[in-house]
Amino acid sequence: MSGAKTEAIRAEKLVKSFGNVTALNGVSMAVSRGETLGILGDNGAGKSTLIKILTGYHQPDAGQIFVDGEPVRFGSVDDARAHGIECVYQDLALVNGLSIYHNMFLKRELLWGGPLRLLNHRAMRRRAMEALAEIGVAVSSVDLEVGALSGGQRQAIAVARAVSTDARILLLDEPLAAMGAREARLIIDLIDRLKARGDIAIVMIAHNYAQTLEICDRVILIQHGEVTFESPAGATSAEELLDIVRREYRAARAG
Amino acid sequence: MGSGVVRRAYDLLLRPEASVIVVSVALVVYFDIANSNFLTTANLQTVSQFVAAPVIIACGEIMLLICREIDLSVGQVFALAPFLMENVNDLGVPEPLAIVAALAVCALIGLVIGLITIGLRVPSFITTLGMLFLITGLTLTISRGYPANTAGGPTLTDIMGAWSYSEIVWALAIVAVMHIVLRHTRWGLHTIAIGGNIVAAGEAGIAINRIKIGNFVLTSTLGGLTGLLEAFRVGSIDPLAGGSNIMFLGVASGVIGGTAIAGGAGTIIGGLVGGIMLGVMQDGFTLQGINAFTFDIIIGAAILIAMIANIHLARMRGGGPR
Repeated sequence: MSGAKTEAIRAEKLVKSFGNVTALNGVSMAVSRGETLGILGDNGAGKSTLIKILTGYHQPDAGQIFVDGEPVRFGSVDDARAHGIECVYQDLALVNGLSIYHNMFLKRELLWGGPLRLLNHRAMRRRAMEALAEIGVAVSSVDLEVGALSGGQRQAIAVARAVSTDARILLLDEPLAAMGAREARLIIDLIDRLKARGDIAIVMIAHNYAQTLEICDRVILIQHGEVTFESPAGATSAEELLDIVRREYRAARAG
Repeated sequence: MGSGVVRRAYDLLLRPEASVIVVSVALVVYFDIANSNFLTTANLQTVSQFVAAPVIIACGEIMLLICREIDLSVGQVFALAPFLMENVNDLGVPEPLAIVAALAVCALIGLVIGLITIGLRVPSFITTLGMLFLITGLTLTISRGYPANTAGGPTLTDIMGAWSYSEIVWALAIVAVMHIVLRHTRWGLHTIAIGGNIVAAGEAGIAINRIKIGNFVLTSTLGGLTGLLEAFRVGSIDPLAGGSNIMFLGVASGVIGGTAIAGGAGTIIGGLVGGIMLGVMQDGFTLQGINAFTFDIIIGAAILIAMIANIHLARMRGGGPR
């Protein structure tokens, strides 16, 4: 435990197999509120399986998850949501043909009172603008179709949507994938502001060691379904991480 | 401020409906100059009757196209509905109730189409192609292949289509309601979301199957209602009325008005405007006395041009290819 910070979510010895392939072999991790944890590892190392267990998409074969120190079991994605866990997937789950504010309120639409249950576009527009302003995402209008936005803006909208649901634990799947430097900056700044709020725990999956070390407070490295390295971001370097992975790669080739 | 107005006007002009309105107005001007009978009360009444049926059908098809489905059998439901009504009426059920019963059966047909398409994962193109033949056979069996006359008192027949303007009033009322459903209800928003990104819609928790099935029920019911209106207007029931022709006119109205065949985009108002354009052409060229063969060539070419224009206008709006 890291001093005054309160632990948001903790996973202990998670095991998950698909047929005779062991995707996770006893993975443990924990994140506190206001902290950002980076999960690094190669393709197929088990990062996505871990995220999918935390979001309730997969159920672990063994191990335990704790939210706010309480043991929980997620039977579905909705179970995890009910515990304040929101995930922004790589496909972003945005509808291109709809406006920003429609996307932000999809399935949680605001309605006018009355028996007709008509959409309250005005209130959704206003609340969407407020939510975006609150986390410092600038768009010229929330009426813009999402399809007309850049990759970074779309990612920001997806994050804003997740946060505006009162998420307390935010999982980001490759938030900087296929993004130019300026676009990536937009997202890095956004994550920094969320971290500064202090009430959200962020877990992000990434490939890029240098970027992850810049954004995160702490990183873990997953290889072959196991956590092989864990360190505060300030106490390690991209070179050290690369070295570990390279050594592993050589050992695998030799063996 | 000034540039904002220009920008807005430009955006408006690039909307698919706008170009169709411009073409429609041009057609009206042309037909008025070419034929002094075009802008007469009697002829406008005829135009309104050309327009009404495809527009009502279009309201259903637009909802289906937006969520990436289609109903090819709606024209057969159109033909079946009046016979259902007459048969129920013959059993001694009062005409208004017989109308309700006929529409209920049409809704049931839509439900069956939806359940087969969603439950058994048959593409709706195939499901409704099968239903097209099945319902034709059903109508011919029920009618024994003979036309029949409509029953009912004068007030009822007037409301249900016999009064010169009743069909267009029905069409405009349905357009108004469906426009609100599409733009101002969760049902409409979720229909667009499903067509735009079905994975995203699912992850957001939208009840995809329920909405798709609901839109099939809606389309069949509107098809049946249109068939009833036409039957009362003409005063007789024909087992071969409607058919694929009315279905294609409905789909064409929607697509000319900007509904994307690939789903995710479309407007009810666009369907109305598209239907008006087709109706004006149909009536205008008939007045001109154009040969029926030439007429089909002109209509076909016009539909093609309108659709090509729409696809390219959508690109110019910055929405990219869709």
